[in-house]
Amino acid sequence: MITRSQILVIILNRLKSLGAELQKPALIEATEQTRLFGDRADLDSMGLVTLIADLEFDLQQNLGRTVSLVDEKAMSRLTSPFRRVDYLADYLVELLNEPKS
Amino acid sequence: MPNAIITGTSRGLGRALAEKLLHEGWNVWGFSRSPSPIKHEHYREHLIDITDEAGVQNAVSLISQSSINIDLLVNNAGAASMNAFLLTPAKTAEALIRLNYLGTFHCLQAVGKLMVRQRHGLVINITTVAVPLVLAGEAAYAASKAAVDSLTKVSAEEFKSQGITVIGLGFGPMDTDLIKAVNKEKINQINQRINRPDGTTLNQAVDFIFKHLDKKSISSGDLYYLGKIS
Repeated sequence: MITRSQILVIILNRLKSLGAELQKPALIEATEQTRLFGDRADLDSMGLVTLIADLEFDLQQNLGRTVSLVDEKAMSRLTSPFRRVDYLADYLVELLNEPKS
Repeated sequence: MPNAIITGTSRGLGRALAEKLLHEGWNVWGFSRSPSPIKHEHYREHLIDITDEAGVQNAVSLISQSSINIDLLVNNAGAASMNAFLLTPAKTAEALIRLNYLGTFHCLQAVGKLMVRQRHGLVINITTVAVPLVLAGEAAYAASKAAVDSLTKVSAEEFKSQGITVIGLGFGPMDTDLIKAVNKEKINQINQRINRPDGTTLNQAVDFIFKHLDKKSISSGDLYYLGKIS
């Protein structure tokens, strides 16, 4: 069972390094409420793509799990999992703990 | 030592390019449906069908686990079919789109994610003079490659802030299995039109690719042709 706090550490660590690279202090000090995409967000569309690619790598390296974060399930949600850090953490907990088909 | 992934390495241009890269000191991963005759200590092969998205993702994931950077992806695998448009079975058009376009799409997406993480990489999509020349009898093939050309341009635009360069390299007929069923007169006509009356050998095509490995001499999103396109 992969816990939410494990996921949160991975997301916040990645935002910290991405924030340093993009020189965005708000990302370096990101919290669960940090907006990732949309109005008042600190990532543009390619920044979000970079975050997703980096996170897929982090999940593989840290948890040994190969997942594609962008699929029809993610896109069809009423609230995009990529809108805020807490939404993304919830989505990843669900995705990584769902029974393998 | 630089690292490359090449699709379609069991024969033709993919095999010739892989052998040249290996000779020049590269590590090469080949994606191929059937085993390649290449025997080299720095050649590794994944026997996959690039139209299988999960298979491509799995192969790229295995490569990425060895913590190396992929410097070059060459989307070479492809098929051709010539027929008058009205006589072209829809299944042929579908198969060409699946292999030429979707196969390239899957590889570019999977390796593109790797390159985004690296903030570095060069992608070469192999295309054809059949698109700009608007050749009769090549509707299905040219359309599938025109889709690849669009993918080249749009992905280059999206990747430009990530240090990733994407170009298309287009060739006329080469002496490979791709054109073995095509009428010789038709081949000669195409070669005349692109001002290469003697045609194009595999070595010439490989040299052309090598000339475009230097990012300083290319512009991301551009298509370059071996031969004159007018």
